[in-house]
Amino acid sequence: MRSLINFAPSTFEERGAAVAFTTPVLAQTRVRKDDRELLEVLIPNLSDGHGVYVVPWKGLPLAFPMTVHDRMLQDLIRRGDGCSPDDIRKAVLQAARCGLAGPLAVEAAEAALRDEDEQRLLINYQLIVEVLKAVGLESSDILRAGLGSEKGEQLTRSYMTKAAQSLALEPTELYTRVAELATFMEPVGIASSPKPARLRRLARDLLQFRDSMTEWSTGNVSETAPIGTFCAEVAEHTLNQVRNVVNQLDQSVAAFELLLRQWEVKRPLVRRATTRLSWLLDGWDFIIASWAEAQTRSKHEQEMAVHELFRVLPLLPKDEEKSDHALLADGLLAANRRTVRAYVDWRSGQLDMDLVMRIEAIKAKAA
Amino acid sequence: MTMDPHALLSLGTKLLDIDEARFRQVVDLLQQIGDLPEVQHTFSLIRPRLAEVRPKRRPTFKRLFCEPFEDLFQLPTGGQPAPLNKIDRGVVNSLWPLVEGQIGKDRLRGVTAALGDGASRVEPARAFWSMAAATVADILEEAEAGRFVDDLGLRLNPDRIRTIQDIARILTIAQPVSELKAVLSPKPIQKLHKDHLEGIQTIGRQVARSRPEALKLFVLLAAARLTDPSILLGSLWDMDLGQKSSDRATLFLDLSGTVVAQIEERSRGAATTTVTVDRMAAATLAVDLMASLEATRNAMEHSRNKDFDQRLKTVRESVHELVRTQVLDGAETEILSAVETLAPGADTARMVQAENQARALRKCSTIADTLGLRGELKSVTQQTTASLTGTARQSLSEGVGDARTGYTAIRMIELIAGPAEANQIMDDILRGARR
Repeated sequence: MRSLINFAPSTFEERGAAVAFTTPVLAQTRVRKDDRELLEVLIPNLSDGHGVYVVPWKGLPLAFPMTVHDRMLQDLIRRGDGCSPDDIRKAVLQAARCGLAGPLAVEAAEAALRDEDEQRLLINYQLIVEVLKAVGLESSDILRAGLGSEKGEQLTRSYMTKAAQSLALEPTELYTRVAELATFMEPVGIASSPKPARLRRLARDLLQFRDSMTEWSTGNVSETAPIGTFCAEVAEHTLNQVRNVVNQLDQSVAAFELLLRQWEVKRPLVRRATTRLSWLLDGWDFIIASWAEAQTRSKHEQEMAVHELFRVLPLLPKDEEKSDHALLADGLLAANRRTVRAYVDWRSGQLDMDLVMRIEAIKAKAA
Repeated sequence: MTMDPHALLSLGTKLLDIDEARFRQVVDLLQQIGDLPEVQHTFSLIRPRLAEVRPKRRPTFKRLFCEPFEDLFQLPTGGQPAPLNKIDRGVVNSLWPLVEGQIGKDRLRGVTAALGDGASRVEPARAFWSMAAATVADILEEAEAGRFVDDLGLRLNPDRIRTIQDIARILTIAQPVSELKAVLSPKPIQKLHKDHLEGIQTIGRQVARSRPEALKLFVLLAAARLTDPSILLGSLWDMDLGQKSSDRATLFLDLSGTVVAQIEERSRGAATTTVTVDRMAAATLAVDLMASLEATRNAMEHSRNKDFDQRLKTVRESVHELVRTQVLDGAETEILSAVETLAPGADTARMVQAENQARALRKCSTIADTLGLRGELKSVTQQTTASLTGTARQSLSEGVGDARTGYTAIRMIELIAGPAEANQIMDDILRGARR
């Protein structure tokens, strides 16, 4: 076992991606690849100890009693291609749709997938509009003819051919570049979009979380207040990074002609920026939904919630941030020892099903 | 938001939904209006939020007067068991102007420091409570003789007389009560630890020596700071409050009677509910009642007191009925029909209800033995689990219908029997499918 100081990851990949397990002790634990490219899971503060347990992914069900949903999710991730936040999200939605985390999780997963479909359609159309705008063509004809209609498609094709000529590109090359860009930008969306995409919504919610947590901690005399302040600070640092990345992406899209012409050079930059954004915001959806849920509860329960959030707080890796969050977190932990947390029924070693139910309810809101 | 304090009075329960900073601001403004009936009414509407947010209230003599017995006020939320001896706010609201008038402004001015903070408030507060106790005792005597009835503005029924008596007695032990509150903080206490028990015993001894007639009220005040008053009953028998053994037995009997009466009231409330919307709520109530019942019964065994056996038996029977009719009856049909007629994307509410039914079964497994329902519960859960296993097998292994039906059946098994059994069944089915 390593302490939080020893476990101060340098990169996002080393930090691992948060997994929306419903088993309380495993909720939001992180998965990553070890030196041999095998998956392993990082479990912080087990039984309130100071540190992180590293358990081989394969051995997880042997080490912890897990819900059926989590067994399936673990298996889906094992059989999947990778363990980036996007890969994990795909597996999480697939597991939730089966119904093993309850009907509300099914509804939430289906709504999230519908939203993704809508965003895919929207970003494709928006990027076509940007292409036409970049070469001085008007896109309102396409809209008038109807996006999905045959006439609309014909018009799109003919305009895109003209645009390709104007950009000195083969039409197929132009289509490929737009399609790739759409795939990269889909979770982020573009600045002018009427319906912000998932990661922009998450960044907005994170801002609200920071404000709410700051307000809660200010003037609060409880021992939990410094932990709340720390959570708000980590949110603030994350938001600063998020703003940088989003600005960079927005600027790239604003200079759209340049982006298309220099796609070979810009492509890895855009790819890296969108990937970085998913890593930056990874794990915050659960934290934001948990805190929103705690707002309706008593002060004491809010304090408990802050401790729980601290346990799974997505600290920024050392290479990403000047201030050392892991060191600060370790200091806070040393100053705030608490009594053992009940994740399992101490009489029987059974899972605390009431807690599982609460996590499932939060999961339904965080999808 | 308007800054006219009087306009706030028309907002009523809307004040429950505003943000916390504004709520504190509103409370501050309401206090500035003064102790008028409309203000009291508004405070009574927002009381649950006041208890939750605990904004810093302007210190007043009325608040200081209520401080020793405030734990006996009943919150209108109803989530927790009511205090054992409830004090009606209406009586206090009528009583305070009389007390204030009788003490007189001059004497009150002499103890203004009691409204301050820190150590300098202790002595003046003690003097204030002592004056208030004597005044309430006088008012009570006069009221019993027929005076003050108009001034009180209330018809003095036995309950109200009892409330005024309780207030007079609690005021005589106001200082020990404030020490007790410090020991039993923060409220509500879920479990009594050694330091809690030692604190209650030490302060209780002082009360038993100086004001033996107020000892029962002192114990009730301690009980009111716990999530379940019966927790204290269990420890009380072993507590040495320096009384004679006969007095101790009488006190214990008194308190037992009050605790049992409260459990009876809660169980009657449950029994009169004819239509249960939420079976999980019924299961939670049953488990809570059984915990109180067990704690009380254990305490009775210490004292070898048989007086309450029949009453406790009746409570147990009504909990038995509650579980049988509202948790067990129809459980299998409800769960199975929800799973088998599952249509993707439809009827989430019905599925949530069926899940609650399944959770309620599991919750009641902890009390089934004591209620004599072990066999019945086992049969319901076994039959339901067997049928659900069949449904899951058909769907996941034999490909009949939608796979989600199969996974939902497994989910229900997990809620009823736990993850270990559900994982085992799922593994068996999937292994069978691969063969």
